[in-house]
Amino acid sequence: MAVLGASMHRDIEAQRYPLLMYALVPLVALVLQAWLPRLLRGHVWFDLPLLVTIYFALGRRSPIQGMMTGAVLGLFEDALGHHAIGINGITKTVAGFLAASLRIYIEVDNLPIRVILSFLLSLLTSVMFIFINRVLLGFDLEWNLLSEFLKAVGNTAIAFMLFPLLDRARVRD
Amino acid sequence: MEPFLVRYRNLLVLLAMLVAQLVGLAVQVRRTDGGRSSLDARDPSGVRLIRMWANAIVTPPELLIHSSKTGSLGLWQSYLDLRHVHEENQELEKTIGRLRLEQASLLEDARQGQRLQALLDFQQKYIYTTKAAQAIGSSGSEQSRVFYLDKGSADGLERDMAVITADGIVGKVREVFRNSAQVLAINDQTSGAGVILETTRIRGVLRGNAAGQPQIVGLLADQRIKPGEKVLTAGGDQIFPRGLPVGVVDKVVRDPDRDSFIFVIVTPAAHMAQLDEVLVITSTQPRFSPKQQQDLATSEALMGAEAAAIKEQKKASEIMGERLPGLTDPNAPPAPPVAPGSPAAVSPPVKTAPPLHPDRYTPGGAAVPEDTKQAAAPSANASAKPDVKAKPKTDKTTARPGSSPAKPAPKTDSKPGQGTAPRRNP
Repeated sequence: MAVLGASMHRDIEAQRYPLLMYALVPLVALVLQAWLPRLLRGHVWFDLPLLVTIYFALGRRSPIQGMMTGAVLGLFEDALGHHAIGINGITKTVAGFLAASLRIYIEVDNLPIRVILSFLLSLLTSVMFIFINRVLLGFDLEWNLLSEFLKAVGNTAIAFMLFPLLDRARVRD
Repeated sequence: MEPFLVRYRNLLVLLAMLVAQLVGLAVQVRRTDGGRSSLDARDPSGVRLIRMWANAIVTPPELLIHSSKTGSLGLWQSYLDLRHVHEENQELEKTIGRLRLEQASLLEDARQGQRLQALLDFQQKYIYTTKAAQAIGSSGSEQSRVFYLDKGSADGLERDMAVITADGIVGKVREVFRNSAQVLAINDQTSGAGVILETTRIRGVLRGNAAGQPQIVGLLADQRIKPGEKVLTAGGDQIFPRGLPVGVVDKVVRDPDRDSFIFVIVTPAAHMAQLDEVLVITSTQPRFSPKQQQDLATSEALMGAEAAAIKEQKKASEIMGERLPGLTDPNAPPAPPVAPGSPAAVSPPVKTAPPLHPDRYTPGGAAVPEDTKQAAAPSANASAKPDVKAKPKTDKTTARPGSSPAKPAPKTDSKPGQGTAPRRNP
């Protein structure tokens, strides 16, 4: 039970990062999320702000911080689009909260676990996005299951490379 | 982390509340172009503050990346381009000269079209002024197919302006910031453009589907709609001018919700996935640049010279026509006497057929003017000798053409119609 039976002391120990990283990484994620689809012929099979939310939520032990990170990034994403502002904010707030909460039960240094968690949370945010649009707000939004699945796969692939890269910037005692 | 939260709990709660309220305010408040803030959510002229803030943060790095990428690629490209630049320059100058002449001709046609349009009181508009812009970013979401331009209100862009490329329409300006603008693409699910099928003339509304393909919705099933048919803008949406290319029909699928309705999937003419440079239609009023006006004046001057040449040709043909032989005008003044044997005497300007049985009512049959007799003398002498005795009586009978004859016509040696009547020159 390396996953669930890890040392509790180590699990609840919050990871720390340079202060600049808290501002720079989300900003870079937002800019790349807005800029990269132009190079990829409009295929948006990734969600960098979601990955940043998950990463920081897993790294910090506070669900509040996870929620705040997700909310800010989600609101910025909403503002760059043309839908109602707050839809992505809600989905990423929930994602941040879940990631931070699950951190107590999983080994966050285990990369495959983090990657699988990214895949699941990506699918969850897609479902929530469609649910809020169609059910709560009543928008006639069509959706494509394959596209959402590919997006989750893309997030998984990026998380596999991005998380170890960000781990290098972690402040070690 | 726990001591941090415990120690600064109140401060964090305050910060959270302030952020939440700021976000709420930013969502509600709209900022107009003139810097005026409005709380009216239905006011379409303003931009939400939160959108402005997000745009102000994200756009500068996007511009920086875009410009640095363009600059680094441009250096290498410039080196490659310098190789054949001289030949290309000459070719381009020739092309420019030809295009300017064509443009002048097209502008003339456009002006004529506008005049006709005004006469017919049409409400359709022409494209006259566009602004070139570059796409620099997107929303980053497939559910929100918008992209950003590097031009904004400072460059004259406004909401609801049409965005096109040389291939076809792209979208419309949705939000305008000072140095950037957000464009809603035609393949977004919330977009709408009035379109018409070129051949069948069926009208519909174009919007995007979940896969990002434009489709015409709300059409009744029609067997005439075939793949490959061109789709044009209908001009009824007050955004896109009429007749711009939209794309071609890709396929027709049935509406799963309504049996008798169909979706017409359209392959867009513009490359929606790779948009770099676009044109924003900033004005549909007739505005010609100084260069265009100069070209137009040149065209008109050329046309004036052509008209003068045609007038000269007409004048020359009239003079030529006067000099060529034609019908004799009976009311014309008598021609001066011509010496016998001269060309004019040989070819009198008379083409009417001589009457077979002339009488005193026949014009010229009873009385022959002196000049005509003189002109006809050589021919008369050549054919038959006229009776000189009959001449005085003939003059008397023709003194009153409308009176009854007092005496019968005198006999002559000549055959009827000869000698007295004008004769056709053999």
